[in-house]
Amino acid sequence: MIPNPTIALLIFSILVLLIYLGIKTRVWNRRTKAQRLKAQVEDVLKQLYHVQHSNKKATLNAMAGALKMSDSKLVYLLEHMAGLNLIRLKGQHIYLTESGTDYALKIIRVHRLWEKYLSEETGIDKSEWHQRAEMMEHNLTADQADELYRSLGSPRFDPHGDPIPMKSGEIIESSATPLSGIHPGKYVRITHIEDEPEVIYKQIINEKLHIDQQLKVLSCDDNKTRFLSEGIEYELSTIVASNISVKELNDEESFEAQAVRLSTLKEGEKAKVVGISKECRGANRRRLLDLGFIKGTTIETGLDGPMEEPKAYRIKNTLIALRNDQADLILIEKIAS
Amino acid sequence: MKEVKETPMEACESCAFYNAAQLKKLGVNVENADFVVALAGNPNTGKSTVFNALTGLRQHTGNWAGKTVTRAEGGFSYNEKRYKLIDLPGTYSLLSTSEDEEVARNFILFGRPDVTVIVADASRLERNLNLVLQVLEITDKAVLCLNLMDEAKRHGISIDDRTLAKDLGIPVVVTSARSGEGIPELIKVIAQVASGEIVCKPHKIKNLNSKVSEAVEELSSKLLKAYPGLPNSRWVAMRLLDGDQRILSALKEGELVA
Amino acid sequence: MSDQNNQIDDIISFASSLRWKVGDDFHDKLTEAIYSDAAVITSRVETKGDDEKSYHFDRLLDRILTSRRFGFLIMALILSVILWLTIQGANYPSSMLNTLLLELIYPTLKSVSASIGLPWWLDGFLFDGVYMAVAWVIAVMLPPMAIFFPLFTLLEDFGYLPRVAFNLDGLFKKSGAHGKQALTMSMGWGCNAAGVVATRIIDSPRERLIAIITNNFSLCNGRWPTQILIATIFIGALVPSGLSGTISTLAVIAIAFLGIVFMFLTSWLLSRTMLKGEVSTFTLELPPYRPPRFWKTIYTSLIDRTIIVLWRAIIFAAPAGAVIWLISNIDIGSTSVASHAIEFLDPFGILIGLNGVILLAYVVAIPANEIVIPTVLMLTVAHFNITGFGAGDGVMFELDSVSETENILKTGGWTLLTGINLMLFSLLHNPCSTTIFTIYKETKSWKWTSVATILPVVFGVVVCFLIAQCWRLLF
Repeated sequence: MIPNPTIALLIFSILVLLIYLGIKTRVWNRRTKAQRLKAQVEDVLKQLYHVQHSNKKATLNAMAGALKMSDSKLVYLLEHMAGLNLIRLKGQHIYLTESGTDYALKIIRVHRLWEKYLSEETGIDKSEWHQRAEMMEHNLTADQADELYRSLGSPRFDPHGDPIPMKSGEIIESSATPLSGIHPGKYVRITHIEDEPEVIYKQIINEKLHIDQQLKVLSCDDNKTRFLSEGIEYELSTIVASNISVKELNDEESFEAQAVRLSTLKEGEKAKVVGISKECRGANRRRLLDLGFIKGTTIETGLDGPMEEPKAYRIKNTLIALRNDQADLILIEKIAS
Repeated sequence: MKEVKETPMEACESCAFYNAAQLKKLGVNVENADFVVALAGNPNTGKSTVFNALTGLRQHTGNWAGKTVTRAEGGFSYNEKRYKLIDLPGTYSLLSTSEDEEVARNFILFGRPDVTVIVADASRLERNLNLVLQVLEITDKAVLCLNLMDEAKRHGISIDDRTLAKDLGIPVVVTSARSGEGIPELIKVIAQVASGEIVCKPHKIKNLNSKVSEAVEELSSKLLKAYPGLPNSRWVAMRLLDGDQRILSALKEGELVA
Repeated sequence: MSDQNNQIDDIISFASSLRWKVGDDFHDKLTEAIYSDAAVITSRVETKGDDEKSYHFDRLLDRILTSRRFGFLIMALILSVILWLTIQGANYPSSMLNTLLLELIYPTLKSVSASIGLPWWLDGFLFDGVYMAVAWVIAVMLPPMAIFFPLFTLLEDFGYLPRVAFNLDGLFKKSGAHGKQALTMSMGWGCNAAGVVATRIIDSPRERLIAIITNNFSLCNGRWPTQILIATIFIGALVPSGLSGTISTLAVIAIAFLGIVFMFLTSWLLSRTMLKGEVSTFTLELPPYRPPRFWKTIYTSLIDRTIIVLWRAIIFAAPAGAVIWLISNIDIGSTSVASHAIEFLDPFGILIGLNGVILLAYVVAIPANEIVIPTVLMLTVAHFNITGFGAGDGVMFELDSVSETENILKTGGWTLLTGINLMLFSLLHNPCSTTIFTIYKETKSWKWTSVATILPVVFGVVVCFLIAQCWRLLF
């Protein structure tokens, strides 16, 4: 009656393994062959658009490398696409046709809208936005994208600072320069953080750098860029810095040289709120605003708490507890007491 | 489980209310009431104490934000008129579109209560005015109940309630609901606002920068042209500019105008 | 109509183009404007005195209650006092209710029904089934809840609970949860349904769902008696009789602690998998301390929490009593439905170190954990034809004597393994139907209700299975 325990455990382990493999490979939503082809075509279009956009010419080898695709596979795809009048092949080079450009912009629109959606309306971590948008861009129809666009309140930029193409295919051109090419002493604002390649993007996230952060470039050479921002001195290798685009501050903006993060406020110190970083989005941002974290408001430390976090701050005569990652996103200017 | 008195939703043909249908949709039975009064306010302002003092009910809401996610209802009579009191969830704002804020916002906007009483903590007036000013953008018929006055006094804070009433354009009643102080006055003022004896001229948000306020005005006048009766066109305009989907669909469904 | 539709479309597209012009930070600008209006008005009407002195007490209290040195100590102290008051204090009213409902009213009902000549099946169905289950739930559930919840509410009204959330948030954050979950978890030790309702204080969607789904890992007061009884019989017996009391108490505490471990583990898992996409925010206001008004608080918390939860439990317990009585008294062939079901469930029960009786008891006693042990005893006596105990088929009972209970269970084939696994399964199984219903009412989602229901059972079956197999491998 009682089964052999060894056999029972063995069967159990096999079951667990099968379930694990099933989840990992997502057996339940495999794409059909036609869907895979569509996704690959769209990936090629997008890559072509990016290459042309940066005023380069697309060659077969470079494309195959960037898309991690075998040459033969790519050739097959390109022939298919030429048949659909999406691309033109001229000598060694590949060009987008007009309808190909439109198509590519549509995909980019969905991709960036989806990233915007993920950043505003969900709790998905930002390191996952890109991957998820890569999946989603092949699934949404143009109508669904419009619906999304409206429900997000007609956004102009995605959370990385990239412009979202309009339905008509119009796209805002931004005049940003890579951080690695800025002269020392200049005041700039981060306008875009490239989310590819992932390794470098993760490194930038780990440094807690984000869109709209102001910085002062201290030094810049072939290997390293050093700059000051929010009271912290950063040092990035050129390869990382070139994935961050910046713009010089315009006349209306002034460099908040005194601005530091709320998390640096020490017991007994007082400060004025300078603002909430753009990195704090959606419901989180609205909550903090409602609680009175508004430019110019006086804030002081309240309670330290028995653990590392949260810490409570006294603002408009109320004790509000914040976690460290929140306190990192609120900029203050200390008041000398 | 928060409803104190659960009343079945029945048809309400005899109601004289122009907004009876809307209220019914929000689950409020107005059959036995002459006026509907909403109770709004920040968390921790003693809102439920005010509710209990007004209705004689004993509704418990702790020292927390967002405790009453569903609404509590009660009633009282004054000068032979019957008032239905709806306790809305305590919220810091009506803009963040969290669940409890949406309940409160929808009630004031779509239910169009005859009076909205806003309970504020006298010892933390500035913080509480955030909600007060938002409510005043939605409705013209409001009363500010400046509660916890005893506590404010203990902390040496005094408030010039006459100037406050003038600045806000609505009656202000000072109360200490725990001891029942000021509650009779509050009832009287509610009755006066409900009957139209007191006409409010509520404060409208001023300090918007020019670009924003121009956009608000432009959109607001366009809304007024399409819906001449819209009482809170400025607020609707602000919500549309903020991309509020609920307001957008309300506009499409025609829920905003009677 | 179409004209108006056009107008609306016009307004919407106009709004969208304006929005585009104004930029993405409209919300910021608006809030800033409102607050600056507020500041202007406040400066005109408010005069502040010397406030430092009057805040002195509040601030001192805050510093002590959240200090590194005393913060946790005070929390642990207060919690132990509350639990002690609840467990000790509930004993007397519980036994009084037990005497009243089961020893006085029940026989009276039976004799009245006999004198007016009710048919046996109606008499059995009504009094042995429905009445018995309801009486049992009231006797076990009411007293601890009537003590636990008012005490909790007093602390809440005073303003202490937000400080507890503040102290513990650092710990909960590590598993992706909100500090306020410490409070809903503690409420769960009283009653899971009440704990689930209490999650309303968590205003972040993701963390609230986590708190709801993991609340079942708080050993509720319907399960404490089961744990204590089984620990006394099986764990206490392992050591010399002088130590058995201590050891069995420790075993129960270990199970409750294991519940906390599972709560953290599940929170961590959920926040990284299924709930990853839900919005997560954190805000925690620490309100000023306010002296609670004692009697009013006691009254309202009784009305608000205790009575309502109890009412729900009764509504669910009544049909369970009926079912228990029916399956024991309806025969298919020569044996009762219950016996058929036990035979059917037995192989699976044995596989996970339990038995068919226990599984059937857990199936029919979904409405209330309180009636699991009485049901187990009744089913065992009926199924194994043990004579001399209980009042007949389908009539739940409990025995004053632990050793007699032990005899019944051992005749039913129980071993130390069965005891240990029952303790684990009592911690790790689906929430009672009152709680399931409450979860549905709070989340309004079948998906999350099913997750909250099924996940703990899966944990329970897997844990019991692994322990049973390892046990058999080793001994």
